[in-house]
Amino acid sequence: MKRKNAARIRSAALRYLLLAVGTVIFTLPMIYMISTSLRPNGALYEYPPRFFPRWEALTAENYGYILHQSKFYLNFLNSVIVSLSTIALAAAIGSAMAFVLGKFKSRATGILFGFIIITMIIPGTTMIVPQFELATRLGLVNKLWGLIPFYVAWVIPFSTFMIKGFMENIPGEIMEAAWIDGADVWTVYTRVALPLASPAIASVSIFNFLTAWEEYPWANTVINDSSKRTLPIAIAGFFGQHQFTQWGYVFAMSVLTLIPVVLIFIFCQKFFVQGLTAGSVKG
Amino acid sequence: MITKSRMNKAQIAGLLLPGLLLFGMFTVYPIIRLFWMSLCDMSFSSMLIQPFAGIMNYREVFGDPVFRTVFVNSIAYTLVTVPGQMALGLFIAILLNGVKRFSVTFRVINYLPVVTSWVIASLVFRYIFNTEGLLNYFLWKVLGVTSGNIRWLDTRWSGLSVAMILGIWKGIGWNMVIFLAALQQVPQDLYEAADIDGCGAWKKFVNVTLPAIRGTILFALIELTIGGFNVFTSIKMITGGKPAHQTDTLLTWMYYKAFSTGKFGYAAALSFVMALSLGLLAIAQFRMMRNKDA
Amino acid sequence: MRTFTKILAVMLACMMLLPACAALAEGETVTINFWHHYSAQSAENETLMNVLIPAFEAENPGIKVNAVSHEWAELHDKVLVSANANALPDVARCDIAWLPEFQKMGILVALDEEMPDFAEASGKLLPSAMSTALIGGHSYALALNTNSKIVFYNKAMLEAAGVEVPATMDAWIEAVRQLSGENANGQQVWGWNEPALAGWNICPFIWSFGGALTNEDQTAATGYINGPAAVKAIETFAGLVKEGGITGFNAGDIPMTDGFGTGRYAMMLEGPWKSAELAGAYPDVAYGTAPIPAGEGGSVSVLGGEDIAMFNSANREAAWKFMRFMTGEYAETEMAKCGQIPVNKAALESDTVKAADYAPFIEAIQTARARPTVAAWSEMDNGLQVALNAVVTGEKTAQEAMDELAAQWDALLK
Repeated sequence: MKRKNAARIRSAALRYLLLAVGTVIFTLPMIYMISTSLRPNGALYEYPPRFFPRWEALTAENYGYILHQSKFYLNFLNSVIVSLSTIALAAAIGSAMAFVLGKFKSRATGILFGFIIITMIIPGTTMIVPQFELATRLGLVNKLWGLIPFYVAWVIPFSTFMIKGFMENIPGEIMEAAWIDGADVWTVYTRVALPLASPAIASVSIFNFLTAWEEYPWANTVINDSSKRTLPIAIAGFFGQHQFTQWGYVFAMSVLTLIPVVLIFIFCQKFFVQGLTAGSVKG
Repeated sequence: MITKSRMNKAQIAGLLLPGLLLFGMFTVYPIIRLFWMSLCDMSFSSMLIQPFAGIMNYREVFGDPVFRTVFVNSIAYTLVTVPGQMALGLFIAILLNGVKRFSVTFRVINYLPVVTSWVIASLVFRYIFNTEGLLNYFLWKVLGVTSGNIRWLDTRWSGLSVAMILGIWKGIGWNMVIFLAALQQVPQDLYEAADIDGCGAWKKFVNVTLPAIRGTILFALIELTIGGFNVFTSIKMITGGKPAHQTDTLLTWMYYKAFSTGKFGYAAALSFVMALSLGLLAIAQFRMMRNKDA
Repeated sequence: MRTFTKILAVMLACMMLLPACAALAEGETVTINFWHHYSAQSAENETLMNVLIPAFEAENPGIKVNAVSHEWAELHDKVLVSANANALPDVARCDIAWLPEFQKMGILVALDEEMPDFAEASGKLLPSAMSTALIGGHSYALALNTNSKIVFYNKAMLEAAGVEVPATMDAWIEAVRQLSGENANGQQVWGWNEPALAGWNICPFIWSFGGALTNEDQTAATGYINGPAAVKAIETFAGLVKEGGITGFNAGDIPMTDGFGTGRYAMMLEGPWKSAELAGAYPDVAYGTAPIPAGEGGSVSVLGGEDIAMFNSANREAAWKFMRFMTGEYAETEMAKCGQIPVNKAALESDTVKAADYAPFIEAIQTARARPTVAAWSEMDNGLQVALNAVVTGEKTAQEAMDELAAQWDALLK
């Protein structure tokens, strides 16, 4: 018995040790990013290089520059507008489709759902050429709001897929009761299905937010004006001047961009895990 | 019975319509268009006038030595990062599964790289792997395992390795979460039975755990394969395809052809080939999953 | 749920209204979109944003300027893509090497035909600079600034190594070798920095070695780019790269300005803007300048410079006003303070420009040559970069790579 206990303790200790090592590796790049954002640009090529800046050399000047001299607030606002519009529209459209596809099963809805799922297989960037042509024809090039329909269209298959699983699990009796009361489809959708599916909608919305917040290839292709750029393009633009990269600015901006994401992630952790596992366990 | 009422039918259609319109216009139409564009001769000066060119673009794609390079690069990236992320993610999930305290903390920290945007993570890695960067200094002057600075970003395979390391680093968290969920659903009595049979930890893993989470493994395999071929931002930010397109992948090369040289037809043909083969691959994987489940 | 629908409705309404609002606002003022490649955190960009544009807007009420900064190569690509997307700006600052290509696409306005006071405007600018905008008998732009590259060298490093400033190519080869090695920290240092392998970088060597890219008529490359002098220039360059004497074009290298400022690169070939950049970022580094070393072809640098051009879709009246302002004496003098050599005759006579000591650059311009002025140049340049990469990595010999390139160029020049 004693030996078994000792073995268990040893195994637990090993687990914690390995996890601790893993955690260090996971966080090192991020810590280095933060530490670089806190030192003056001139100190970036100091020798020997340091993981942490010297205490005396710590400075917030990069943050000052980003907040006051650059168009950061505008880029931030652009990203917020685009991301929130995307998740609102995707939630409305995705849940409506999921409701119909999940609760009114027929041959037609089955085929439609299969079709939507198949498009999830195609990597988004492969369609950038025809989508660019489409944006051109619709006059959506270099328009901030022109990003939104594309983003919504990209996240709809995933959103529908996730919410549909949840809709299917709504017990039939609840809906039966509503039908008997003489409710129409619209009422059942808004009064019964939507409230019950709200956890799924929440978790889908977090993923959609991340997608829109970090999207780079498409926005970089269609947005030109610096006042219309979203955060990822703004950061990449700072880096772009290749003879003279000011890493301090780049990373100060990156830290400011990551803060909302990390906060959302930490506070909505539960929804995250729920969303991720719903897809995988169902298979 | 409910769907019989005309009003309800109209309402169902009304609920589907916005999604279908958006989906049809911004996803389905571009897919069809992609195929059509791949058969047209399009360049910068004639993007809106598109003479039909048959399979010329496809011929050009397959005859292009750069295409072969970037194709191999994409395959290599996928072959390294997909098993890499899955193995490490599963390993951490197994560690976490047996841990009671700090489980949530570990999970949150390990998931942070996943929510970090590609642009930012790529720039951080580029900075770390700079020839004059911290990593080289550490390897050379602190650990003494190298005898000089490694030119990580400057050659084909080392540049791709940096992108692969980033891909794995960023993907482990996702794998960990889904594998952890799968592990928690493995019935405990299977392990107990294995204990009675006198199985060691490794045997238990091979004979009990792996078969029980097979569905999740296949799901991850499909998702990650698509993700592996979708690699774009990290390559663009880390090496930019340097030197001379040696580190480009299918998508960065396609993008370069389209938006820097104006060969939209070539880009469309390349995209179409890629979308089609990935679609077939995924359907095959789906089939496999279904057959084994049944 | 009601609120849900409402939010949705409001959002959709906003999406519809936004462009309408924008159009409404535009009714009162005209906005000109101006694309340029002054780098975003440079003195030039600050002058543009904080001095020139405010001055222009004050002079011309009712016209607003929306200036957009792109990275150099990206600006070229964005213009080409936007031409197809009907999203071109009104005015752009274009590298002189791009104009033939843009003109061929038919996106530029022939200024001499459309602008009644074109002769007056162009008469104020140097004829040699204006010739860069002359394609097929018409002028498609106004000259904005001119430049060339000269050698910048780190005084302390040359002194420590006991190396004279190289005046000939043979001396240059020796100097690069002697300046390369390790510094006191054991870090590698390089005698020469070259930030890319494009025509802008390699042409001065080819020309100074006595080579050429194409024939005089720019219709054939075989026998020129793969001729003995050009091949020798490339062999020499690649040899020094392999010896560890030249670097800078790799993705992992220290950026040019940082490397020069921190004493890791002893010499570089750069333009007049570098002085302002060094003064801002590395004020302590003591450097000198010299013409590019002379080889069998003499001391031949590359002619650079930018023109300001108007696109077909532009609001012509407002765009023209802005172009005339940017090429006027005031704007050119202000830009001269941050390293842009004026082409406006009056600005060239101003005290600011005389004080700025552009003499070495202006001297270099006298003997500098232009990159081929053909529409296919961008494509040729891409091919050149790929070929040069194959040479410096040792994949191909200089002769093999240039033979292949010459064949490719011949097809493009037809």
